[in-house]
Amino acid sequence: MFPRPIQTQPRAAQLTYSAVLPIALTLWLLPLIAVAIFSVKPAVDFTQGNYWGMPSSFEGLTNYGQVFFDSDMPRYLLNSVLITVPTVIGAVALSCMAGFALGIYKFRANLVIFFMFVAGNFVPFQILMVPVRDLTLDLGLYNTKTGLVLFHIAFQTGFCTLFMRNFIRALPFALIEAARVEGVAEWRIFWYVVLPLMKPAIAALSVLIFTFIWNDYFWAVVLTQGPESQPVTAGITSFNAQFRAAYHMMSAGSIVAALPPVAMFFAMQKHFIAGLTLGAVK
Amino acid sequence: MKTTFKASFAALAAAATMAGSNASAELTGDLKIFLDTSNPAPRATMEAMIGRFQAEHPDLNIETTVIDREAYKTQIRNFLTADAPDVATWYAANRMRPYVEAGLFEDVSDLWMEPAIADNLGSTKGAMTIDGKQWGVPYTYYQWGVYYRKDIFGELGLSEPATWEDELANCEKIVASGRACYTIGSKFLWTAGGWFDYINLRTNGYDFHMDMAAGNVAWTDDRVKATFANWRQLIDMGGFVANHQTYSWQEALPFMVNGEAAAYLMGNFAVAPLREAGLSDDQLDFYQFPVINPDVPLAEDAPTDTFHIPANAANKEAAREFLRFVVSSNEQTEINNGSNLGQLPINASASIDDDKFLDQGFAMLSSNSPGGVAQFFDRDFPAEMAAEAMQGFQEFMVFPDNLDDILNRLEKVRARVYQ
Repeated sequence: MFPRPIQTQPRAAQLTYSAVLPIALTLWLLPLIAVAIFSVKPAVDFTQGNYWGMPSSFEGLTNYGQVFFDSDMPRYLLNSVLITVPTVIGAVALSCMAGFALGIYKFRANLVIFFMFVAGNFVPFQILMVPVRDLTLDLGLYNTKTGLVLFHIAFQTGFCTLFMRNFIRALPFALIEAARVEGVAEWRIFWYVVLPLMKPAIAALSVLIFTFIWNDYFWAVVLTQGPESQPVTAGITSFNAQFRAAYHMMSAGSIVAALPPVAMFFAMQKHFIAGLTLGAVK
Repeated sequence: MKTTFKASFAALAAAATMAGSNASAELTGDLKIFLDTSNPAPRATMEAMIGRFQAEHPDLNIETTVIDREAYKTQIRNFLTADAPDVATWYAANRMRPYVEAGLFEDVSDLWMEPAIADNLGSTKGAMTIDGKQWGVPYTYYQWGVYYRKDIFGELGLSEPATWEDELANCEKIVASGRACYTIGSKFLWTAGGWFDYINLRTNGYDFHMDMAAGNVAWTDDRVKATFANWRQLIDMGGFVANHQTYSWQEALPFMVNGEAAAYLMGNFAVAPLREAGLSDDQLDFYQFPVINPDVPLAEDAPTDTFHIPANAANKEAAREFLRFVVSSNEQTEINNGSNLGQLPINASASIDDDKFLDQGFAMLSSNSPGGVAQFFDRDFPAEMAAEAMQGFQEFMVFPDNLDDILNRLEKVRARVYQ
């Protein structure tokens, strides 16, 4: 099996591993470390060319204070929540139902419909930019959170349905047959038999979709403008001035913006990894 | 007879209503304003100004949206067609041409006929005019020129150069002292556009430069080559900081702050960060770009920021009143002072703040720029041409020997862009 556990490797390999790992980790984290250091520097450090040295003064409190109390960041964060949470609920709910239908019922178009969901995942979303923008405009949803939520739900449902359908397929079909023999209505089978069994998949998918949507930048820029509707990923650039980039403020803003998905990851680590492998292995 | 009387009465009544609406008028409804002034100081300035406008028109429901300056540049295409505000900020000259030609900006020539504007805004009228009509009003502009380290000049016994010979002699001494004459960060290309503007304006003059912008001069023309030959003199003597193609304009500031470079050809917005970084007014000074060809009149770059009314605006009456308000001499004095935008007012009867650099810039633009006022390379030249050309300038600054290739390439682009 690959990868082999490090404990079974020869001693030399183990030593090399423990020596190289911290270096690789630091190198890999370097951009993040830089952002973290930038976020506590004063603006002057950047005009004096002190990028990588010690901050000339510690401005962490000022910078983060400004992010929370003297900028539109709280509003952007709230927008992100108001966009991400409904999307997660909507996409997961729809895909549970679609997955149930595609996974349990045998009908002629089953495979065709399923393949359409799968094929949707392979459309490079950038090519949809202009039609989607025109569509939201015609629907009067341009520059609204609702428009962004609806689009995200529609687009994420493809992937979620693939995931859910495969998960439901893996459930023992005998459970459903047993329920049918008992004369349980189909929607009750879904609600009382299948759904409880899907809890791990729902958790994994929710975490995954949450990070996808929270980190979305592309659609945020295409479909929304201004602090009344834009999520935090698009809002970070609002720290930039007419002529100058405020590196320290953008860094502080980025860290704040990255916290929710990171917290989500650590809190739900188990589900997250399950989510990444669950859909892939089947 | 009767009908004539009636008609003239109607005209009189109409004139009276119009006069009324011009003066103080109860403006009602919504006024949606989109701003790209996203950094804290200009943003506060604009919001305060809109606050004063609101106080004059309490019945008007003003809604202001501030969009990040860079994001605005891509979003404007969207919102002018889709969800048009009543007033939007933008830039003068060629930068507004695509929107003017697409019919997305309102013709405001009527405003420019009003004496208050016609008499005071002459210096920027050319920049607001396309096809003989005006498409917006300016609200601020700023000078370009050479910002230099006075203390380094003092140490080396140099004085502000007035001619190209002085300039080259100065530069030789600065390079001999182990410094670069100029810092520049050409990563985002436009800074090199500033250098081309100035050397071309000084070598061939404003009219030639604008003729080029209009696509009437070949890039392979000998006069254009003369511009590059002058530029090359500075490059060959090591006048610019090394590896400038990897820095943004901001990242090139530390060279000047730390004394590794003596000067910076830049807009007046460079003063604020240089002061913040600890340079005092004794260390920092300004001079007008030196004369190269004494036969051409001096001309300057002074990028102008503007307000426009989108053609799809809903409340154009209120928008016009807002434009009148913005360019009035009181507002111009207020919003351009040192504690606000810190730039130059566009209204000739506005007064100017007591700031060393603003004073010099105002004096330069109002009395020592007889040739004309250009906007800036990427505002004067059409976007496509400017993008290719600035790429070429950067390449030229790094590999001066590629000049012929670059010019041939730009000539092909010219043939395509201007058709």
